[in-house]
Amino acid sequence: MIALAIGVVAFAFVNVALSLKDQGFGSLAIYVVIYAVISVIVHLVVRRWAPYADPLLVPLALLLNGLGLAMLYRLIQAGRNGNPGPTYTNHGVSHIGPIGTLTSSDMSKQFLFTLVGIACLTVFLIYVKEPRMMQRYTYLFGLIGVILFALPTVWPGSEVQGAKIQITIPGLGSIQPAEFGKLFLALSFAGYLVAKRDVLSLAGKRVLGIDLPRGRDLGPIMAMWVLTMLLLVFESDIGTSAVFMGLFVSMIYIATGRNSWLLIGVGMFLIGGISAALLIPHVGVRFSIWLNTFTPYNVDHNAYQLAQGLYGMGAGGVLGKGFGGGQPWWTPLVQSDFVITGFGEELGLVGVMAILLIYGLIVQRGLRTALMVKDPFSKLLAGGLSFMLALQVFVIVGGSTRLIPETGITTPFLAQGGASLIGSWIMIAILVRLSDTARRPAPKPIQDEGLTQVVSLK
Amino acid sequence: MDRALKRVTLAILVMFLLLLLNTNYLQAFEANSLTTKPENDRASAEQSQIQRGDIKTSDGVTIAASKPSGPNGTYKYQRYYSDGPVYSPVTGYDTLYGTQTGVENSESDLLSGSGQQLALRNFLDQITNKAQKGATVQTTINSKAQQAAYKGLASVLQGSGHSGGLVAMDPSTGKILAMASYPSYNPNALASQNGVEVNKADQALQAQNPSPLINNATSALLPPGSTFKIVTSSAWFTEHSDQNANSEAQSPTVLTLPQTTDKLHNDQNEQCGDGSGKATLIYAFAQSCDTTFGNLGMQIGGTNLQSEAEKFGMNKPMDVPGLSAATSSYSVPNSPPLTAFSAIGQFSDTATPLQEAMFASAVANNGTLMRPYLVQQATASDLSVVQSTPPQVLSAAVSPTVDNNLKQMMTAVMQQPEGTGYQFNKNNEGGLAIAGKTGTAQNAMNGVSSAPDAVFTSYAPADSTPKIAVGVMIQGGGYGATAAAPIAVSVEKAYLAAVGQG
Repeated sequence: MIALAIGVVAFAFVNVALSLKDQGFGSLAIYVVIYAVISVIVHLVVRRWAPYADPLLVPLALLLNGLGLAMLYRLIQAGRNGNPGPTYTNHGVSHIGPIGTLTSSDMSKQFLFTLVGIACLTVFLIYVKEPRMMQRYTYLFGLIGVILFALPTVWPGSEVQGAKIQITIPGLGSIQPAEFGKLFLALSFAGYLVAKRDVLSLAGKRVLGIDLPRGRDLGPIMAMWVLTMLLLVFESDIGTSAVFMGLFVSMIYIATGRNSWLLIGVGMFLIGGISAALLIPHVGVRFSIWLNTFTPYNVDHNAYQLAQGLYGMGAGGVLGKGFGGGQPWWTPLVQSDFVITGFGEELGLVGVMAILLIYGLIVQRGLRTALMVKDPFSKLLAGGLSFMLALQVFVIVGGSTRLIPETGITTPFLAQGGASLIGSWIMIAILVRLSDTARRPAPKPIQDEGLTQVVSLK
Repeated sequence: MDRALKRVTLAILVMFLLLLLNTNYLQAFEANSLTTKPENDRASAEQSQIQRGDIKTSDGVTIAASKPSGPNGTYKYQRYYSDGPVYSPVTGYDTLYGTQTGVENSESDLLSGSGQQLALRNFLDQITNKAQKGATVQTTINSKAQQAAYKGLASVLQGSGHSGGLVAMDPSTGKILAMASYPSYNPNALASQNGVEVNKADQALQAQNPSPLINNATSALLPPGSTFKIVTSSAWFTEHSDQNANSEAQSPTVLTLPQTTDKLHNDQNEQCGDGSGKATLIYAFAQSCDTTFGNLGMQIGGTNLQSEAEKFGMNKPMDVPGLSAATSSYSVPNSPPLTAFSAIGQFSDTATPLQEAMFASAVANNGTLMRPYLVQQATASDLSVVQSTPPQVLSAAVSPTVDNNLKQMMTAVMQQPEGTGYQFNKNNEGGLAIAGKTGTAQNAMNGVSSAPDAVFTSYAPADSTPKIAVGVMIQGGGYGATAAAPIAVSVEKAYLAAVGQG
């Protein structure tokens, strides 16, 4: 499987180099070799420290990571990345602002982030031998998670495109702490819900055919809702708050099996979301450009990115322009948020469907782990993480293809950016550890206790 | 817990299904309508990822070329036009936003390399890993003639607030040797990769009057004036095979018109010939007597004049790749006096400089009018010819016998003392034998007090096989002989010197 991933990614790189004819093969060879080495290291790490882990999880993640690197390489080789959008309004003549450029140092950084992600995976697999170890720190993780989410609101100079989701550390660049925060919160939820699941699932009375929970048990969901709304209000980040609320609601539902939690959670989020759309201009704009993307004003202004992404998808058609053959740089942020439209343009419908299926497979392996694993904490964690990944893909891919309003969250593994990539690798590490536990054969009996007596049924 | 997990799985399945359906919808069903949206710049920009082919003159001067724009360019290649104002009527311009004119427009498929003819070559380039390049388009333009034409127009029109155009043709093939227009513009400003600059340049050009963007050589319609007497003479000789250039015709000083109190005078109320009221046709033609030809016109009749005019290419849309030519027109007047005016190129007669060149071209080529063409051939990057234009006959305008009379008369205009072009031709150093017909047309559009339009149609050399026919029209230029003829002759000299016959 690893060899397949390496093969596909190497092919992607070579394809780019061939399409952009003036480019040399020197840097290409280095990148492919580094990627192959990283892949083999991950493989050995997993073989050594999680030998029973699901055999698909890591190769699939590596494949996506490699495709992301190839896309970044492709944009760098073209000398252009997503243009920052129209800097002036000029109907019928031009929409082009100054062209921003990615350089090969961005490529090195992305490789570095991949390595850090792999290192995190290795450290995690070495030190966390048993998933239940993490159950001990339920409240500590919760605290860390909340702090990470709240960090950008207090960090100076963190607003990017209307949303405050990044913190800039001098000398290191900017990261999105929420990428890590949501993992900590997932761990914390799992611990908390396992402890409280009985009371959450049984207590309460039945009204109109729905089992309503007791008022006092609404506490945690209220707390999460408030936190989500704060995220919306202070960071204007619909995407992350949707993923965050989705994570919590799905986990509470998995833990209790009560439909009422689902209704309460989704209902509360919708109320919050709609009122945010009405009250917060930044959120409202996202809704309006989703509904009216191609009106003459929007297409040159707020909906420029969305429209360019759609044009890219359209230009790609069914088979795509070929890696290196399209013009993905028209779309602002095509190297991160809108990376899927870049793939849509160059690899076509076929490529996008393949990528979606790869995500689908990772999610499916995660859910399978959740079903197989015995202990409730692991079950909840695996289910929650899988759902979160699926939701994140749904929100960002759906957003950039105009299925739902566009929100700025990163595309796991494919997008340029450190926090997202490292966070995604940690998530894979958790899933690998969980699946390793789930698939580990039962320990062999120490003594031979003799054969169990066979009872004849005749 | 497992039951809930399975339900979550189902929800996830639905989410992925929605994503897949949506991308299918976008990329399989909506792809076309997205690509053709007017605000979508990708399609036009795609062309600038391939090196666009050059546009060249027939004598090998590159007048438009694409060069790599370097690391700071928005696009891979930048279009450059050399001598922009001189060649802009030929090249037109190619903006990065899909607007094209001239050869850039008509040959865009070949230049951009997307044409059918280039499909196989593109494929071969792709598998041999060669950078794809558009075809080189070679025009029929002669650089020396073109330079002389623009210089001539500019010298007359600079600062006048008027416009003018010139077309030179090879009479035996129909090749357009020069096509100049004034005022002109520099297409480089419109080829900028910076949208703001393109817009600024475009608005500045739009604001000018007369508009530099109009190709006066093929689009400006002005009254042909006395040059239309070529058509009237042709119709007369064709109808009366017993008549020739030396036959006499009624040539009063004042022609009394029926049904009206208006009378037709000659220019400056001059008498025609010796004042006897009769003159030979060749004399009347050389002196450009309006009374003679007004009278002939009434005898020929509007319908016959129209059919003769159509043999010279009027009333027919000129479908020439690379030029957007206006249709020169002659419409049948509904009364004899108006027919008289129409026979001398007034009334509602209109012609373009291209039409003027076609008048002389037909006469020079023994009465056979060749179809004008601007694009000689297109060659792929491996120098193989992918398209070439053969000469074609447009129409047999007049018989060779009739044409012989017309040749004599057009030569007399320049070489007989009574000829309107004589004074100019006498001072014409170099001894080139030129045949031509001047026109000085009253144009109501110019206002009552302003000068008439100067028109001149000619060919050279007149004493051997003609190599070049030229039509010039200068709006508000005054006399055809003084304003238009010198430009035509300078173009003819430049061209004949270039092809070694000066």
